[in-house]
Amino acid sequence: MNVRVFVLGVVGISALLLGGPRAASAQKTTEQFIPVGQSPGLSGKHTVIGTVQAVNARDHTVTIAGPAGTRSAKVTERTRIWLDRSRMQQPNVKGTFADLRTGVTVEMKHEDPTGASAGGPAEWIKIQIGTSS
Amino acid sequence: MMLTGTQGALGRRLVAPLRAAAAVMWVPWVLLGVVGLSSCKSAPPPPDRQAQLVAKGRDLFFNETFAGNGRTCGTCHPAENNFTIDPAFIATLPKDNPLFVAEFNPALRENFENPALMREFGLIRENLDGFDDLTNKFVMRGVPHVLGLRTSVASPGGPRTGWSGDGAPGDGSLRSFATGAVIQHFTKTLNRVPGVDFRLPTDEELDALEAFQLSLGRQQDLVLPLKLKGTVPKRGQAIFLDNRLGKCNLCHVNAGATANLGGGSLGNANFNTGVEDLPDQPARLTAQRVPRDDGFRTPGDGTFNIPPLVEAADSGPFFHNNAIETIEGAVAFYDGDAFNNSPAGRALKKADPRGVGIELDGTQIVAVAAFLRVVNALENIRESLTLLEASLKVSSTERQRLLERAARETADSARVLAGGGLHPEAVAHLQDAGRLVAKAIASGFFKRKHTEEAIREQQKARALLVESS
Repeated sequence: MNVRVFVLGVVGISALLLGGPRAASAQKTTEQFIPVGQSPGLSGKHTVIGTVQAVNARDHTVTIAGPAGTRSAKVTERTRIWLDRSRMQQPNVKGTFADLRTGVTVEMKHEDPTGASAGGPAEWIKIQIGTSS
Repeated sequence: MMLTGTQGALGRRLVAPLRAAAAVMWVPWVLLGVVGLSSCKSAPPPPDRQAQLVAKGRDLFFNETFAGNGRTCGTCHPAENNFTIDPAFIATLPKDNPLFVAEFNPALRENFENPALMREFGLIRENLDGFDDLTNKFVMRGVPHVLGLRTSVASPGGPRTGWSGDGAPGDGSLRSFATGAVIQHFTKTLNRVPGVDFRLPTDEELDALEAFQLSLGRQQDLVLPLKLKGTVPKRGQAIFLDNRLGKCNLCHVNAGATANLGGGSLGNANFNTGVEDLPDQPARLTAQRVPRDDGFRTPGDGTFNIPPLVEAADSGPFFHNNAIETIEGAVAFYDGDAFNNSPAGRALKKADPRGVGIELDGTQIVAVAAFLRVVNALENIRESLTLLEASLKVSSTERQRLLERAARETADSARVLAGGGLHPEAVAHLQDAGRLVAKAIASGFFKRKHTEEAIREQQKARALLVESS
């Protein structure tokens, strides 16, 4: 009986023990230094690369036109925005929502790629600096 | 695998003269044109595609600097020290080794490494919470080995890499890990500009590096219990597997890196076990600044992922911060307040009908450690046998490399057992095996003979540790 109680108890507390979400968690800090289009396992598969078509400051949303059409995302307080200055041979730095302007080239990753078409929150956005667009 | 870096250095000092002697011995035979009579009976078969990928990955791992500060993956994960570094190994390195780049590259002098903590405790500086405040935002971590990754990275929630499970950028996979490592550790300056301070690995290179890393060490988990012969290790295994006493197997199923709390495998999981709450952590006894490590994610939740235990006994110091030097100390940690007051310890206590977390006495701690020493020695013997047998089928250059690795693994087996006062007869066989491997390395004509004898000695040693299944 005791063993059974123990096992059930342990199962019951497994959620408490297990830290973090049930999803792969990539390191966000070194991601900052990876140029647009070069994020391993993500770029071209689970991110949107294109030009900013529209920015809605009131709703904090951005619409990006890419090869596969347009994608929107909500920019939340969790969204990391980086300025990719690697083309200028300058270090990449943090950006802000104000850096999102129409015409700039960006790469954007949704927090949940399955909700990308619904305009869900963006996990990160890289803004390419030093392009002619 | 080697017990400590000092012993690793001893191994290298043993192997290097033998290799030099072997080279000298070869000269007259080359002149006489009788090279390879003993064991090069036929050309090795062409490697298949996967083997080629692994070979490419090996070359990248140990030789590719990615146009950075001179470090390679092998700088911190050297094959001759079980793919990790510790203070004793570090002490054997020359001053200009790229591990010490912060000591001789002015651009990396500040906020890249802490040379004092690196040399005394084997700690590496990581900016896991961002690069915007390099002076204050960093953690100091040990270097995990990269053995048995095929058994330890996967989890239902996605791959778990590094000490806290979130070590890789991109998709978070082992394949992507090298990209983050180059950015963190290979840079020429703190600007970290791709194309200037380093170059990022290509897709092909990431494929090869992943294949190489997955080829290292165990390819599958043990199935416990083993039919151990030693009295104390056998008792240690029983304690390990007892979910009401040692409780070790809940989070280290089959002494591996996966958890099963009773409801099925959780794969590699994260737990807050209270390591950061240990009193008198070595690095914090110094005057150096060592911020609290908050583990998984940014900001962190205090959790770290599960390391495999089979490889533990010869790859310390232990835990993400190298807080404990010995395997006995690492087991004893779970009997202490830091663990039993941690979220993981409290949860175990809550689930226990007697309301206890993990309570082990001194003899029981040593018994569990003895079990871990034996499974480590068995793994080293398995690896040695694989290397020795493979050495009989390959070209001469590759053969030397395999024999040298087998020599180190063999030395590790003996030292791990001897360090715990375990199985002296097996230790004697392993020492004989080591001598035979050294002879095989040095010999021009009798490599096969010595290698086959070494294999037999290894088998005898193994038979003393465990009944054949």
